[in-house]
Amino acid sequence: MTNFPATVGAVWKQESARIVGGLLRLVHDVGRAEELAQDALVAALEQWPATGIPDNPGAWLMTTARRRAVDDIRRARTRERLAPDLARRPEPAEDDVLRLMFTSCHPVLPAEARAALTLRVVAGLSPAEIARAFLVGEQVITQRIAAAKRTLAESGAAYEPSGQLSSVLEVVYLIFNEGYAATSGADLIRADLCLEALRLGRMLAKLAPAQAEVHGLVALMEIQQSRSAARTGPAGEPIPLHEQNRGRWDQLLIRRGFAAMLRAREAGGPAGPYVLQAAIAVCHTADKTDWVRISSLYESLERLLPTPVVRLNRAVAVAFAYGPQAGLDLLDELHADPRMAGYHLLPGVRGDLLIRLGRAAEARGELERAATLAHNTAERDFLRRRAAALDVPEDQGRPLGPAVAEYLGPLRPATARAYGQTLHRVVRLAGDRTPVASLTSERLAEIFALCWPEVSPRTWNRHVAAIRSFTTWAGEPSLAAALQPRPLPATLGAASLSEPVGAVPALRERVLWCLLRESGAKVGAVLALNVEELNLDDRSARDATIVWRSGTAALLPELIAGRTRGPLFLAGRRPGPGRPPAAADLCPETGRRRLSYERAAYLCKRLTGHTLLQVQRQSAVSSDWSRCSAADGSATIELTAIDAALPDGAIPT
Amino acid sequence: MRYLMMQKAGDAEPDEKLYADMAAFVEELTASGVLLATGGLDPVGFKMTSAGDEITVTDGPFTEAKEAIGGFALIEVRSKEEAIELCRRFRRIVGDGESLIHQVYGP
Repeated sequence: MTNFPATVGAVWKQESARIVGGLLRLVHDVGRAEELAQDALVAALEQWPATGIPDNPGAWLMTTARRRAVDDIRRARTRERLAPDLARRPEPAEDDVLRLMFTSCHPVLPAEARAALTLRVVAGLSPAEIARAFLVGEQVITQRIAAAKRTLAESGAAYEPSGQLSSVLEVVYLIFNEGYAATSGADLIRADLCLEALRLGRMLAKLAPAQAEVHGLVALMEIQQSRSAARTGPAGEPIPLHEQNRGRWDQLLIRRGFAAMLRAREAGGPAGPYVLQAAIAVCHTADKTDWVRISSLYESLERLLPTPVVRLNRAVAVAFAYGPQAGLDLLDELHADPRMAGYHLLPGVRGDLLIRLGRAAEARGELERAATLAHNTAERDFLRRRAAALDVPEDQGRPLGPAVAEYLGPLRPATARAYGQTLHRVVRLAGDRTPVASLTSERLAEIFALCWPEVSPRTWNRHVAAIRSFTTWAGEPSLAAALQPRPLPATLGAASLSEPVGAVPALRERVLWCLLRESGAKVGAVLALNVEELNLDDRSARDATIVWRSGTAALLPELIAGRTRGPLFLAGRRPGPGRPPAAADLCPETGRRRLSYERAAYLCKRLTGHTLLQVQRQSAVSSDWSRCSAADGSATIELTAIDAALPDGAIPT
Repeated sequence: MRYLMMQKAGDAEPDEKLYADMAAFVEELTASGVLLATGGLDPVGFKMTSAGDEITVTDGPFTEAKEAIGGFALIEVRSKEEAIELCRRFRRIVGDGESLIHQVYGP
């Protein structure tokens, strides 16, 4: 009646770390070790139904796999002499598992590969289970694991485990957080990740009992996990720690966390980041939270991990311990930190502190800003409700979000899109409902510095132009005062154009560029010219809508080369059979098609480094660029825009 | 998921080897985080009954010695199969007898 596959699976999950770890010692290749272990599993599935489950299934699997490994090595003949010794090795030592963990968490691997490989070979999860937990396809995980094994084999990491405990701890905590961050009911599978991480952590604590940080991590995870049932409400909304129902905390896990904390203290040494975080978690389990102690713990933590998130947490603790103003002061430095630019908790916390200071109007702005930034719908609604509940006089003026929408509305679609890119970004950071009048030019400059720290002057100027246009429209032109356009780097001048980047342009290109500059006509119109439309004597075409001068006139006869009709500018080759051109675009004499806009643009870019448009507008160049300019230098003309508004239909193919 | 394993007190007298094997087993499961809590039970308990407002306390024993629960273990495993497998290993150590296993919901 035994369900053998399920039993083998259960045994595998309990024993895989020891088996793979033991094999790793023999074969020095994680991939190979796992294959051997899998072979042993297959053998178990074949034999157990007949022989019954052995007394010690783990040892059975280990022995079978080890025999195969030895066979393997014998076959390889490279270590023939060693093989008999290997077969008699004593039972796997405990440090095999530790060694396996060091290998699968090796720093040569990217973080996600470490997590996947550790779950695979140490926790014994299948790729499908790992894929479900990380919300990716099974294929992705399989590939990730395979790539990780390859990297390990190539780097020889299996021979030299890093020995970096911190790397292992990081992976375990990453796995835990991956599960902990999932809060909704549909994510129950992901919550299993927390239990896997706990198992790995407990295993590690047994293997490296002298390391305070290991016990610290275990304590941290046990205590965090103890709140798992209490940390979300019925609708999946997050419940802040101090509002949770303590009755739903798992006292068993809390006690285990305390015990791990005691072991960490016994292990001694200076408190590392995990011990400190665990100590903070322990403080939060007390009936009356000791905020003074927590804020000093965060201060120590910030010295070890000077990240903005730690600072944010410290500010919260300080605000509880020493008053909201003290917390607010700590937050001020974070305001300009680009890493915090899109982080909704910063304005969320600020809003909280401002409420406690009685500055409701500012608080509402911050909470609304936080709501704009929040990713989670439940959280966003929660923030919106809090903001709306504040008692603030309504004469704040027009809010930013609707103002921007109103401004963009009547603009042409292309302009609205371009300006929208700038303005929506600003709205996101400044807050949707922030009144326009409450913005300051300093705040705007700060937002610009956060959003576009390292952009080219041209991009910067585009954003500045957009915001200036908006502020002028909104009647607050002084808002953009601190934002100045930046000087562009020296643009293409006559000198640069006078030396084409590529080869010497062919006759056709020279005529085209000359004609463009001299006529100022649209590129599409020039390309659409036919030989029969040209009036060479009058230097004009199409009823004098396109007029050229001596430069073009000197070159044209050579280009026409006796043709009497068909497109003036021809492609270099005949069209392929698959794409017959329209009759009007085909030269009846040469069989070639009309030069396309795209090709002309490409050639121009390649030969001069500039676009057709730039060539056309470089009026000054025409006198310098001897190769195609008129000898009398009279080619400087008024130019009309031939800009991108060129209708698609006008582009000859 | 958590399971509560309850052992009925067997006939066999525990010997030195059993104590050593059990100690190693408990240590291994504790280290891997599977065993959350364990303990032996006094076979003689007492019973409390409520009927209406009245609560009666009755001292044990109530069952035959070999039917009484002699010990329990609270384990955290991934599947029922894992629970079965662990209990199987446990039964190998303690010899003939009976275990009751229930899944634990909550907290």
